Amino acid sequence: MDTNIVVEKDQPGYPHRGKVFAAIHAHLDDIPYYAGGLCAKLASEGYTGYIIRTSNDEKCGGHTTAENILSNEQEHLKMAAALGFKDVFDLYYRNHRMDGISSIEIRGRLILIFRMLKVDTVITFNPWGHGEENPDHWVTGRAVEEACWMGGMSNDFPEHMEAGIQPHSVRERYYFYARSGQPFNRVVDISSHIEEKLNAIVECRSQGGGNRGSELRARLAKQGRRLPLLANDDRTADREYARRFLLGADQDYGKEYNLRYAERFYYIDQRPPAKPEVDDYIEKNAVSL
Amino acid sequence: MKRRRFLGRSMAAGVALTGAEALESVRPARAAETQPSDLPSKFTPAAHALRRSAYSPFATADYYTFADDLVLEHNQPGKPHQGKVLAAIQPHSDDVPLYCGGTVAKLIDEGYTGYLIRISNDEAAGRTIGYGVVQNEIDNHEVAKALGCKKAYSFYYRNHRMDDDAEIEIRARLIFLFRLLRVNTILTMDPYDHYDENPDHLVVGRTVEAACWMAGGSRDYPEHLKAGLKTTSVREKYYHARSPQGHNLTNRIVDISSYIDAKVRANVANKGKGPAGTAGSALRRELAKEGRKLPLLGDNDETANFAYVKHFLMDDFRLLGEQFGLGYAEAFRYIGPEPVYSRNIREYVNQHAVPL
Repeated sequence: MDTNIVVEKDQPGYPHRGKVFAAIHAHLDDIPYYAGGLCAKLASEGYTGYIIRTSNDEKCGGHTTAENILSNEQEHLKMAAALGFKDVFDLYYRNHRMDGISSIEIRGRLILIFRMLKVDTVITFNPWGHGEENPDHWVTGRAVEEACWMGGMSNDFPEHMEAGIQPHSVRERYYFYARSGQPFNRVVDISSHIEEKLNAIVECRSQGGGNRGSELRARLAKQGRRLPLLANDDRTADREYARRFLLGADQDYGKEYNLRYAERFYYIDQRPPAKPEVDDYIEKNAVSL
Repeated sequence: MKRRRFLGRSMAAGVALTGAEALESVRPARAAETQPSDLPSKFTPAAHALRRSAYSPFATADYYTFADDLVLEHNQPGKPHQGKVLAAIQPHSDDVPLYCGGTVAKLIDEGYTGYLIRISNDEAAGRTIGYGVVQNEIDNHEVAKALGCKKAYSFYYRNHRMDDDAEIEIRARLIFLFRLLRVNTILTMDPYDHYDENPDHLVVGRTVEAACWMAGGSRDYPEHLKAGLKTTSVREKYYHARSPQGHNLTNRIVDISSYIDAKVRANVANKGKGPAGTAGSALRRELAKEGRKLPLLGDNDETANFAYVKHFLMDDFRLLGEQFGLGYAEAFRYIGPEPVYSRNIREYVNQHAVPL
């Protein structure tokens, strides 16, 4: 066990009341798998959550490009509802082609949203995570990382202030553990939020395997067989399939810390100290003139 | 060179067709005469080289192509544009003052609320880049004041390098501003200004043109609507050409005779770049050192700067006005509001529908 790892457990009450988090992912199934438990946990502890999808998911769904965009759009709304997000933003950049877009344009849009929502905390891809073969992931991560601090600068996009939207810095970040070997310094216990995570995953039907249970159940029925695990309705079949076959990583991440389910993150805290160091120094060292 | 010569010949013939050659300047301007045309008479000229001032290259276009439904826009009494908003968008601090300052002042006087938006940082003009950007920033605000604009904005993209910027990002910012300010009308560089050699001009023209209609679509940047902005379509556009190179299709000539002094003041306010600013007082000082003076420049710097700009730099606009029987004029490709097609169809239905 790495002693530098912080295990974040459930906190009683609503310690985050008044705070806002934004979960920014590229594709429908990113947040549900990488951080669905964390999102549910933070919301239960008082955060107001918003979800932002940057791509249009046109490549996934098994239908025409247009039909894929529609099905992913609809499922994104359902998935967001399952995790209790207050609002959903879809930016619709073309799936698998985001390394060709203007990085400054997507950053500008994220700055507006972060300022408008007064986001305290983001949950997204690690822009520096190795092994990331999907360009949409690192483009999203980089744009988020840059927007977090630039959102606090009044000379960046000053026209936002004309609309009454003030500069705002994002101080806390949870970066996904998306690929094997990526760094993490925090393990979040999501055991008590696994049902919400499952609810989110089963809405990911165009991609993410959310409907594999019901598909398997139908296939077996044609063969005159059934799996008791999958019960007697599609919804239960999807949930139980996901619980049994799709949460293996979360179980593995938790096992090391005696947790049933966990998610891994690289957490960055840039909140200023309650008392600036210089004030402390002045208090200790100032002398009379 | 050959291209210029050929087109020059064409213009002269065009002017003859309109009979405008009869209009002679009453001022002692050193107006450059158009070259005689070698265009065979079987050809109808497609563009016109009007008589131009010899005092400044940065005024009116080298060639004009006129639409046959050209409109002369005169002063309108009262405040017919009350409640409407215009945005004058310029790459550099001297573009709006030189090319459309009179029209901006006129429209604001007729009721528009005006905003000035500068897209570049104007770093290419100044003693150092730092001094240049500061002076041009100041100038942009002073130009806005001189024209009667409510506010000036600057986007600060690097001067002469805007073809390296992401147009979609500039467009997004313009869409945000058009929605925020509820812009009805824009004045800017014509995105189809032929032979314009400055990349900043073309980038600005293109991004403005695209932003005008996209600002009206709720699917473009829907987060703006969540931030409290409303979609807005820019319905009227005044596109101007760049000079000396550059020409566009002209379908509107605006009479700026009553606003020439406002235009002059806007150009005088532009000290960081361009031909105006303090050129008059500098000339006055230079002559004084030689023991001479120009009565035109008066007895103080303020008068000198104003008179210099009006006499020398506005001469092209006077010559353009002469062609149309006006004191001073500016030329535009004007694009007005689209008809309400659905209403027209409904009217047709109401007039022609018969019982089943």
